[in-house]
Amino acid sequence: MMQPVVKTIAGLFLLLFIASQAGAANLEDKVVEHTFKNGLKLLMVERHSSPTVSAWIRFKVGSVHERSDERGIAHLLEHMLFKGTKTLGTRDYGAEAPLLEKIEETAQRMLAEEAKGGGADKATLAGLRAELARLEKQAEQYVIKDEFFDLYARNGGSGYNAFTSRDGTTYLISLPANKLELWAAIESDRMKNPVLREFYTERSVVMEERRRSYDAEPSSKLWETFVAAAYQTHPYGQPTIGWSSDIRQLSRTKAESFLKRYYAPNNAIIAVVGDIRPAATIALVERYFGDIPPGTPVPEVAAQEELQQGERRVEVLGDAEPELIIGFHKTALGAADDEVFDLISSVLGQGRTSRLYRSLVLEKQLATQVSVFDAPGNRYPNLFVLYASPRAPHTAAEVEQALLAELERLKKEPVSQQELQQVLNQLEFEEARRMGTNGGLARNLTEYEAIAGSWRYLTTYRAKLTKITPAAIQRVAQQYFTRENRMVGTLVTKKPGGAQK
Amino acid sequence: MKLRVLLVGLVSFFCLSAAYAAELANPRNMTFPALSFNIPKAERVLLQNGIPVYLLQDHELPIVTISALIHTGSVYDPADKSGLAVLTGSQLRGGGTKELAPAALDAELEFMASSVESSFGSDLGTVSLTSLTKNLDLTLQLFSDVLFRPRFDEKRLEVARRQALEMIRRQNDDPKELGDRELQKVLYAGHPLGVIPTAATVSAVKRSDLQAFHQRFVRPDNMILTVAGDFDRTRMLAALNRLIGQIKPEGRLQLPDIPQLKLRFEPAVLYAPKQVNQSVIRLGHLGITKEDPDLYAIRVLDFILGGSFTSRLMMEIRTNQGLAYNVGSHFDVGRHFIGSFTAETETKAEATAKTIGLMTSIIAAIRTEPVSEQELKLAKDSIINSFLFGFTTPASIVVQQARLEFYGYQPDYLERYRERIAAVTREDLLQAAKKHLHPEAFKLVVVGDQKGFDKPLSSFGTVTTLDLKSE
Repeated sequence: MMQPVVKTIAGLFLLLFIASQAGAANLEDKVVEHTFKNGLKLLMVERHSSPTVSAWIRFKVGSVHERSDERGIAHLLEHMLFKGTKTLGTRDYGAEAPLLEKIEETAQRMLAEEAKGGGADKATLAGLRAELARLEKQAEQYVIKDEFFDLYARNGGSGYNAFTSRDGTTYLISLPANKLELWAAIESDRMKNPVLREFYTERSVVMEERRRSYDAEPSSKLWETFVAAAYQTHPYGQPTIGWSSDIRQLSRTKAESFLKRYYAPNNAIIAVVGDIRPAATIALVERYFGDIPPGTPVPEVAAQEELQQGERRVEVLGDAEPELIIGFHKTALGAADDEVFDLISSVLGQGRTSRLYRSLVLEKQLATQVSVFDAPGNRYPNLFVLYASPRAPHTAAEVEQALLAELERLKKEPVSQQELQQVLNQLEFEEARRMGTNGGLARNLTEYEAIAGSWRYLTTYRAKLTKITPAAIQRVAQQYFTRENRMVGTLVTKKPGGAQK
Repeated sequence: MKLRVLLVGLVSFFCLSAAYAAELANPRNMTFPALSFNIPKAERVLLQNGIPVYLLQDHELPIVTISALIHTGSVYDPADKSGLAVLTGSQLRGGGTKELAPAALDAELEFMASSVESSFGSDLGTVSLTSLTKNLDLTLQLFSDVLFRPRFDEKRLEVARRQALEMIRRQNDDPKELGDRELQKVLYAGHPLGVIPTAATVSAVKRSDLQAFHQRFVRPDNMILTVAGDFDRTRMLAALNRLIGQIKPEGRLQLPDIPQLKLRFEPAVLYAPKQVNQSVIRLGHLGITKEDPDLYAIRVLDFILGGSFTSRLMMEIRTNQGLAYNVGSHFDVGRHFIGSFTAETETKAEATAKTIGLMTSIIAAIRTEPVSEQELKLAKDSIINSFLFGFTTPASIVVQQARLEFYGYQPDYLERYRERIAAVTREDLLQAAKKHLHPEAFKLVVVGDQKGFDKPLSSFGTVTTLDLKSE
């Protein structure tokens, strides 16, 4: 089982270190679970290694749940939920509210005029835009800007942030352990009484975020194009941030409708990890979140991707060096073949000894880097992705051939026991490592509880991988790595000046 | 907390909601139980050859981390071989050891899920180890071999060199990276910190250069070790003394003197053409070193001006005007060399000049009037109350302490950090801002498409257009 080299080296000196009393890093024993009457799920791990605590709130709603006229709203709403409540972020909500209504009325008229496209009346539009800007400026007198941030900051909060994905939306913070009640007070208020003030200015911020992350970065543009081309039916194809024209037609009304539909305690999972007492934490969460009424459960996405029946190729011309992406449609996280893909992914792409690194980077030197991952989400059937940066003078076509040859090898030859054992050894390490930070644990617990249905996915995972046979890997490779099921995307360098051939 | 819940339970049902409302504290004036936080202390021990080792045991996880901090880096690159330090740093581990060819070393480590990694930055080289406790013996042996017995395999060096050349070919692909690099170059022009490797200098590096560079810097009298996690102190020290503590330095350590840059403040406008709909804006000038008496005032100033989500730059440019997603500024405090003050944002092409103007005027304003009491209090509270997040893992605690010695900080730097922040006044801030901010002398770098700009860049000074293709 062990490698020969290990024996020779180990023989050179005495085994000095014996596993100490540690090893109690067992997630199964450490997680305390509690479900409240309103459906809110709370997961806790007590760790007293520092007087700090991380609290993550995950809503099981992401961009995949948007209607076609709402694309981008899950992410924009995530931004908006930093703008305060009826009592925080405002000097006088009573005086502010009528003004917010006037702003939305004006915005609705502006959006209606904009929707006419070329037929819009320019003067009317200019007037409405000026009016909207004037009203938002006027409303500022009531706004206490980013008060959540100030409250957390002055109390020593760290890493206050949120993120939106295809599958979900997460709000996170770490605090000194004595400040957990501040989190409960702010976050429960944010669930109960959010006010989406400063909406249209924030929409501009998101437009800049889009330009920064996609429009001005050719490799990201390729990625966005590649994923969109992979899905004709399922909403996984749409970018979470939304297309430019999507963002331009989003309104506060749409954001509020999405908020009311989905931001309910029964669609939320909270993880609190760190220097806490679970019983006291349950009582605290009950006190602040317990009276929030449950809402409609987030529905499953009904659309199913049609079976792809031939290779699909996309290219993006950009002011950058070439990139190559190859993808294959595959099963969702938790489905029978999914863990086989995880094994394949490690064998192909994890570390300097992985097949692709050895073959493409070290031996043939066709690429500077190759990575293997799942995207764009995990809740629904997704893509098995190979991403490579060709090394000049080698072309994306050469890299593509070399990658496909490695996939063919998986179909023909069984993977060695040693390669499989290495993946399992790395998982054993990962199981210990992931217990080492409050934030990392909170992330894992909320993510897997939301996606896999239970955080126990983490504790049963290695045993499942242990059972996978080389034959199963061959079968999966043969079944999925086919021409019909393949996506290929390339970034092609745009020559400045003239047109591209 | 439990007690309060019980009390609520006793209130009769029709005033229950009122009782709840009364129980829910207002975040604006909540009070909290006291929290005592003492900086966790690592133990400092000398190996038999004098290498300082910082040790901190923590048996929560069956993992050990070790690192070596080495005085070396790209500031010591010969001008015609820029890139030597980075290649030496990557090939120290990447190129195998005397006993193990690179592929065998890779296999040995990855099968155990252990890692040994090495990299050299501008003035700090790091070799690190992470291992499950049960694999520590072998991993530690490999760590010491990587440090003191590297092979610098010729073939792997060639792979690394070709990768470096490809990265140079790709260095203008991302407009943000391009902007960051050009600002660094212009801020540190004439100093090793401003030198960026080129195809010619990377091609000139030979294996013997790596060997010499290693021999010159990676020596017991030029490093500090840290050990954290699940280990036994006695056994660990015995192993370190056996593997590393017997190595004697050859000859006298000679760290070449790197000249300090003269503090000069002269404006410049650099334009990097790129066909994009959003401009990358970077600006700044030279800053301070850690010895500067204004250090603590500068830390507080940083928070207020551009370092937090409610900073002045963020508030005006993002929150109020919606001109950018990312905007901020930062004093990078120099340790061995003089540091810098830089500010950055990205905005749509048609708002380029407007945003540059706003950034400049916001920065200039903090030099003319004292900040408000509220701003000062928020910044100080935030820095002081979040201080403990620097010490959440055993590995970060030992490395923090080793870095103090490595960079020659006052021994009480961490102990007294919070009280020194607390002592900063509005007047201190104003004086520090006046002394260390020079908006009239910003080096400005703009990456973008000038056809779409709202005003020509020449309104900010004489424009130098960068020729990106010739690099």
